[in-house]
Amino acid sequence: MLDDYLIRKDSLENVLDGDEIIGFKFAIRIADYRGCFLSLVNGYFVKCDNVEYSKEVQKLEINGKVPRTFEEISHCIWEHWDYDDEAFLHISKDGGLGVGSHEIAFQQSILAQYGYMPWDEEWVMNPPQPGKGGSGKTDTVSTFKLELLTSEVNVG
Amino acid sequence: MIRRGVSFYSYQQTQFFGKMGWKDMIREVHDNLKTDGVEIIDEAIIRNYPFMTDEFIFDWNNEMARYNMKAVTMDIYLDVHQFRDHVMNYREAAERLKNDIKIASKLGFENVRCLCLVPTEVIEMAIPTAEKYNIRIGKEIHAPLPIKAGLSHDKIDPILDPRMVDQLLELIHRTGTKHVGLVPDFGVFQHSPTDLAIDYFKRHYNPEMIDFILEKSQEGYSTPDILSLLDEQYKGHGLHIMTLGAIAINESCAKPKDIIDIIPYILSIHGKFYHMTEVDGQPDQYEDKAIDYETPIRFLKENGFEGYINSEFEGQRYCHDNGIENMIDEVEQVRRHHEMLKRLINK
Repeated sequence: MLDDYLIRKDSLENVLDGDEIIGFKFAIRIADYRGCFLSLVNGYFVKCDNVEYSKEVQKLEINGKVPRTFEEISHCIWEHWDYDDEAFLHISKDGGLGVGSHEIAFQQSILAQYGYMPWDEEWVMNPPQPGKGGSGKTDTVSTFKLELLTSEVNVG
Repeated sequence: MIRRGVSFYSYQQTQFFGKMGWKDMIREVHDNLKTDGVEIIDEAIIRNYPFMTDEFIFDWNNEMARYNMKAVTMDIYLDVHQFRDHVMNYREAAERLKNDIKIASKLGFENVRCLCLVPTEVIEMAIPTAEKYNIRIGKEIHAPLPIKAGLSHDKIDPILDPRMVDQLLELIHRTGTKHVGLVPDFGVFQHSPTDLAIDYFKRHYNPEMIDFILEKSQEGYSTPDILSLLDEQYKGHGLHIMTLGAIAINESCAKPKDIIDIIPYILSIHGKFYHMTEVDGQPDQYEDKAIDYETPIRFLKENGFEGYINSEFEGQRYCHDNGIENMIDEVEQVRRHHEMLKRLINK
């Protein structure tokens, strides 16, 4: 599926809080041909320049709202991510990224299904760690080369 | 006369890249395919699903009226993890189905297509709503399901019950409802792997191993048996049995003639296809070499089916790994599919 196109290549930016760079962000889409209820978005497998960033340091900025943690997102049971729409994934990292080229390994974890499955109760108790479930129709990790063009940043 | 339509699922890649929206798709069906059948996936097309605005409803109905289109079937889903703190129970699943029925009604659809994994009990709970809104609930017959159970090649599947069609017919007969039926998918008549899938697997796995799989499949080996052979001869092959199912195909999971008995219950049909290529020696005529269309369409015609076959192109997924320039043209594939449908229907 379109997993190799989930990150918009020219979207990498650092994120500012006050005077401080607190992380970076990039624009993402949803794979597998339809949208989903936001609560199903379970975080992302993200490895940038060989450093892995768990979903605990990720936030999702979507539907015109401030970035939300994946704990908050899991409660958005009636909010929808429309297939056409872009979101921003924020990653906490003191000082952000340096100007230049960065390699990001990336996989979505979305708990979308076609009905009841044998692992349902397990997923309620222990949702899979991103990278280990919920990737959808493609089970490979996609790699993106992104350029951080400027150290100028937006207010996070 | 069998009618032709398109599921906008077919244009998923074009939509993803922002090249076509639903209005463009409607115009393509009307202007170029010269037909009127429209099928959508609710979550892919409706803005702010499930809380679509009045503006969307007016816009949709106006556009459909402008081109005199027919809203045939709306495809709906069942994500049982929506609430995250518990698995959605059957009553909650029925609520989702009822809400989708109301949405379909506002957009002028005749049917909703629910997935083959939706429990029959859930469908039964939604019948009063379906009758009130005059929307029919169609359960999909999707590969690897057969139409009639008990065939020697019934796939062993822990999740899909091969008796699904019988179970649904039992519900229809017991309740007497006219608002439940079936949506067969032409994928059940796929008799061999599509070349796009073979090429895809050869790009990602040892091509010699893929040829070995195809050879064994042709010799009549079952998918589990092939997997055992692979475990012996290609240790660490990394192929999952479900993945293997896309290329280890040596017969269709349903018999074409089995469609005859379910015709009275068919609400619409998914015209699943993977790759339309030119028929040998027949310029401008196209076929999917992996799926039998001719025989089932003949049976449908001979037995008076007058509903819609809606194109459902699915070959794009096997061309997403090889650069944008090598992606397949969905619009052209659907046009070719309609050349074939028109020809077979009028034959």
